[in-house]
Amino acid sequence: MSSTGVQYKKKGWLIQMSPEKQDTLLKMLILSMAAILSFSTRLFSVLRFESVIHEFDPYFNYRTTRFLAEEGFYSFHNWFDDRAWYPLGRIIGGTIYPGLMITSATIYRVLRFLNIPIDVRNVCVFLAPLFSSLTTIVTYLLTKELKDAGSGLVAAAMISIVPGYISRSVAGSYDNEGIAIFCMLLTYYLWIKAVKSGTIYWGALCAIAYFYMVSSWGGYVFLINLIPLHVIALMITGRFSHRIYIAYSTVYCLGTMLSMQISFVGFQPVQSSEHMAALGVFGLCQLHAFVDYVRSRLPKEHFEVLFKTVIFLTAGLSALVGGVLTVTGKISPWTGRFYSLLDPSYAKNNIPIIASVSEHQPTSWSSFYFDLQLLVFMFPVGLYFCFSKLTDANIFIILYGVTSIYFAGVMVRLMLVLAPVMCILAGIGVSSMMTTYAKQLDVSQQDRKTKRFESNFFMKSEVAWTFLTVMMALLVTYTFHCTWVTSEAYSSPSIVLSARSHDGSRIIFDDFREAYYWLRQNTPEDAKVMSWWDYGYQITAMANRTILVDNNTWNNTHISRVGQAMASSEEKAYEIMRELDVDYVLVIFGGLTGYSSDDINKFLWMVRIGGSTDRGRHIKEQDYYTPSGEFRIDREGSPILLNCLMYKMCYYRFGSVYTEAGKPPGYDRVRNAEIGNKDFELDVLEEAYTTEHWLVRIYKVKKLPNRGV
Amino acid sequence: MSFKKRILFCITISFLQFHTFAQDIINLNLVNNKVERNIDISSQIVEITTEVTIENTGKEPAFYTLFSLEPEARLHLAYIGAVSQEEGKPTLRVFPTAIADNKKEAFWRIELKTPLQTGRTVTIKVETVFTHFLIPYPSQITQSERQLVYYHGNHYYYSPYLTKTQTTKLTLASNSVESYTKLKPVSQTDATITYGPYENVGPMSFNKMTVHSENNNPFLAVSKLHRALEVSHWGVISVEEEIDIHHAGAVLKGPFSRYDYQRDQSGVSSVKVFKTVLPASAMDVYYRDEIGNISTSHMRVLDDSVELELRPRFPLFGGWKTHYVLGYYVPTYEYLFNSGDYYVLKMRFVDHVFDDNVIDHAEVKVILPEGVKDIQLKLPYQVQRKPDQLHFTYLDTIGRPVIILEKSNLVEQHIQDFEIHYKFQKILMLQEPLLVVVALYLLFILVIIYVRLDFTISWDPQRESRLHASGLVERVLKHQDKLTDIYFQYDAALMKYKVNKDNSSYQATVKKLNSDHKNEAQAIAEALSKMKQDGSELVEKISELQRLDRNLKEQFHHHMTLVEKLISGKMNKLTFVESEAAITRKKEELAEKLQALTNSL
Repeated sequence: MSSTGVQYKKKGWLIQMSPEKQDTLLKMLILSMAAILSFSTRLFSVLRFESVIHEFDPYFNYRTTRFLAEEGFYSFHNWFDDRAWYPLGRIIGGTIYPGLMITSATIYRVLRFLNIPIDVRNVCVFLAPLFSSLTTIVTYLLTKELKDAGSGLVAAAMISIVPGYISRSVAGSYDNEGIAIFCMLLTYYLWIKAVKSGTIYWGALCAIAYFYMVSSWGGYVFLINLIPLHVIALMITGRFSHRIYIAYSTVYCLGTMLSMQISFVGFQPVQSSEHMAALGVFGLCQLHAFVDYVRSRLPKEHFEVLFKTVIFLTAGLSALVGGVLTVTGKISPWTGRFYSLLDPSYAKNNIPIIASVSEHQPTSWSSFYFDLQLLVFMFPVGLYFCFSKLTDANIFIILYGVTSIYFAGVMVRLMLVLAPVMCILAGIGVSSMMTTYAKQLDVSQQDRKTKRFESNFFMKSEVAWTFLTVMMALLVTYTFHCTWVTSEAYSSPSIVLSARSHDGSRIIFDDFREAYYWLRQNTPEDAKVMSWWDYGYQITAMANRTILVDNNTWNNTHISRVGQAMASSEEKAYEIMRELDVDYVLVIFGGLTGYSSDDINKFLWMVRIGGSTDRGRHIKEQDYYTPSGEFRIDREGSPILLNCLMYKMCYYRFGSVYTEAGKPPGYDRVRNAEIGNKDFELDVLEEAYTTEHWLVRIYKVKKLPNRGV
Repeated sequence: MSFKKRILFCITISFLQFHTFAQDIINLNLVNNKVERNIDISSQIVEITTEVTIENTGKEPAFYTLFSLEPEARLHLAYIGAVSQEEGKPTLRVFPTAIADNKKEAFWRIELKTPLQTGRTVTIKVETVFTHFLIPYPSQITQSERQLVYYHGNHYYYSPYLTKTQTTKLTLASNSVESYTKLKPVSQTDATITYGPYENVGPMSFNKMTVHSENNNPFLAVSKLHRALEVSHWGVISVEEEIDIHHAGAVLKGPFSRYDYQRDQSGVSSVKVFKTVLPASAMDVYYRDEIGNISTSHMRVLDDSVELELRPRFPLFGGWKTHYVLGYYVPTYEYLFNSGDYYVLKMRFVDHVFDDNVIDHAEVKVILPEGVKDIQLKLPYQVQRKPDQLHFTYLDTIGRPVIILEKSNLVEQHIQDFEIHYKFQKILMLQEPLLVVVALYLLFILVIIYVRLDFTISWDPQRESRLHASGLVERVLKHQDKLTDIYFQYDAALMKYKVNKDNSSYQATVKKLNSDHKNEAQAIAEALSKMKQDGSELVEKISELQRLDRNLKEQFHHHMTLVEKLISGKMNKLTFVESEAAITRKKEELAEKLQALTNSL
């Protein structure tokens, strides 16, 4: 009965598909897995805490989105916000990039139209993860244009979990950057498409993507300088062609016109110096094309003469026009933030308000590794592969990589711009290396006979195996590292704090919301709240009360005035508070719980900013230090510090609280010192509310006493 | 009684209950023989229970008795109810009425269970509940002070009839009393003050009673309650209560000191936490407000209820307010009953918020399923019905009917069931799943159309021929698959034949298989000829495939004759085994080749 042994094999269902179909299926599978992963890895904070907006700026975005969703676009556009910058107010419609709000309001409206009752807050919370899924797909497309589909998939998988990007796009982190990275990569993709095809179609699409980018983030300036830089580089390398001429002319003309429709941008694209490079390159493009045309028509000697004259003439003319326009103020000088990009020490020396923001600090080396891990090493590899086979598109990604690594070094927050290019280049690097070695595995398996004769490749298969194993191990550690960083470092909402108690259970400090909600419920509707500007957005969004200064730090003197009030003695501060018509004052105090980013630790910035304007000349940083130059809050501390308003508000009645066993009462757990000024009463303020863990303290400004009392 | 009739009956009853505003007269023949009043001011509400023994001294039997309230008390009245003290303690119907010649006063008519005959007495117990009747004095206190309240009342029972003898007992919140009016005889023991007995007090007598005492019980009042009940026939009813709550006691004066509050628990009249009791089957409870979850609450599941310990974000001092949303789900089967297409929803109009709660204004929204008809309401007490609305949620097309009911000034006694009767066709439950199915179906059709049809304007012959060729190859492979099946069947048929030697069935099978094989081979040949026309480069491979197939078929033929010979005894076993082994080897070889070839396609 041996006939049973014959096996006529059918093809498996997978094999039955044609290779193209298999290819598509695999790509779609990997890509959708990466997209889902990028969404779900950002949900740590929602699962651990709740669906809540994080940090500071997102609260403003959330508030404006809600306004837009409820009131419609025109009232949003004309919105004058009297809740902020009292008594100045703020024209919201003209001072923000509305892309983010419009995006989520549109999603909200569409869902509502489909009778899906979703809260605006939930749209806002999940917008960033959604857009990072889209970013994953765009990264794949872009990398595919630059190299091949394999690199695209690796890059997409990498960007889906890269911490440098996750830090700004976890669920709840509802900020411009969340969608801007998507817009940026989309614009790059379409730009590469336009450069490769040289059609107006792709150029126009690129301009539209650029418009979306402009509408959503101030970082578009990087983009509008990078694309011209690419064109210049192509000109220098002699790769300038009609394709590039068409692509750039379309993108620049359409893009500039579209970007001017955003009221916050207005005429900047033709006036400010940040945009001049793009304009210059546009002119240069025309010249180059013209020169190419003339060169093809004229004999060589004639052309040389003409070329030189034209060069000198245009150079002289443009310098003259530029100079005149700058002097007459038509081209605005560069803004502080832009200077600080070029010269990291600029802000520190000149504008304390820029320097005071932690995300504007230069990046440390460790945070490069922390945010990018494996990518840091794979980035140069990718660069090598790009250089080894230079194309128009590759030049772009090289430029993008090199410039953004510089900017990321200057400012921590620009790590965000670096992360995608790191992923793309690392993706190219990893994929190229893996392809090289994986091919050798194939060879070694199929025809073993040829192997014997290629003696110069010793142990080819084994080496390939080893290499691939090592690479795999690296990629696995990358995954673990990314997930760990996301879960530990980037998934706390910062509005709700949590700590471990002695027995290991979790304690939640919900003091911020407690205080804001108290303000919302139990103060008059028109009460004016003074606090340091960090908490401005949160107070307007959560407490719905008028504030003096907020995170949109456009008016330095106003912020400085608040800083002066905080840094002055009670009587002086009272004058300022009367002048500013303040009803309540809010301070953050971490001395009881050990929350270190409180107002006392920020106090020196208040002093610096307070003293940076004319009216605050009398406030000198030196006065707040001990004679030996230390900032101390204990008995040794400078008497001016120990009697200023901020100190008194933070430590009012704290002198009798026992915070730690074995320590005297009034022991500050952040500064690790017993406070120096304990028993004092407040004359012009009264304690209105203090939260459960004393994190937020609110004081009411007393009215002037009645005559004769 | 049929169902419809029952509904009709219910409506008539409720009509009678709420809309009778009769003109009554005061029957002076009725006399209050004995009145015992119990005024409870130990919480934030004032609860007065009056036990009256009424005697009919006239000739006619009395069908009802009248009840009246002092003008200032009237404004604070939240609830009035009467129980007869006869056998079985039946509840008596009470409703407001008017007296033709006395417009100043307000009267309630209490209908007696049985007419009161001449000379007979009846004892009834009237329960009245007043809200915001206690006045904090001083109206502003500091954090460390205790809360004192005034109660202004009447020493006498305010009645349109003569009262022969009466006593009043006042229950206070604590022993400390600042002052109280002393209309003798009066006595105080611990937290009770007893007035009376007073004899022969004329109708509508008023003598102001004032009690000033300490009361640190929570003076919480719900200023607005939005209660939304969303009924789903799919299993759960969602209940969401949006509550505006404030401390209605003495207002906090001066600063709030967290230090004092934490050190010596000062602020005795403030409210740190309160308890809400939910139905026992409540699940997925949430407690939040506009800015997120309120992380301070505890839930205890008891046998007959779910007890929630709610802590507002901040302690509530006098004059402070807060706002929160409390929601939960209860299973439908506990509250929705049906017979056929007729449904009855039976739920509480308002639910427990905290003990001795006061709800100044409640709005109850009932969202019924889509497609509900013939909605009828049955309410335990008079409420105002607002115009119906429509509500749209997941997969709704025509909208769900929303019934909106409103009532002011509610207390614990108002926690009663109301009923909504409606008609709903069960088939409509399928509407939503069908909607999803249709939507997905349309989506897939769109995708299929997009993928299958060519929407390009330009004609690309290369792409076209490639697609054509790959289509043909796919067809060949499909037929080859079928052929493979046939090979298996050949082997199986031979095996079977060898074992059971059933010639007829074997012949039939082989015949069928032969014709199948022929069809499939024919189909492949057709595809091949088409490919030849296109000039495809795969022609050679397909021809090779055909050749291999023919060879294999040949081997099967050999095998079959061999087996037939063996069965018919023309061949001995030994030679059969040898030649069969040879054939099998050949078959294996061919099968391997075939496989390699199909894989390369």
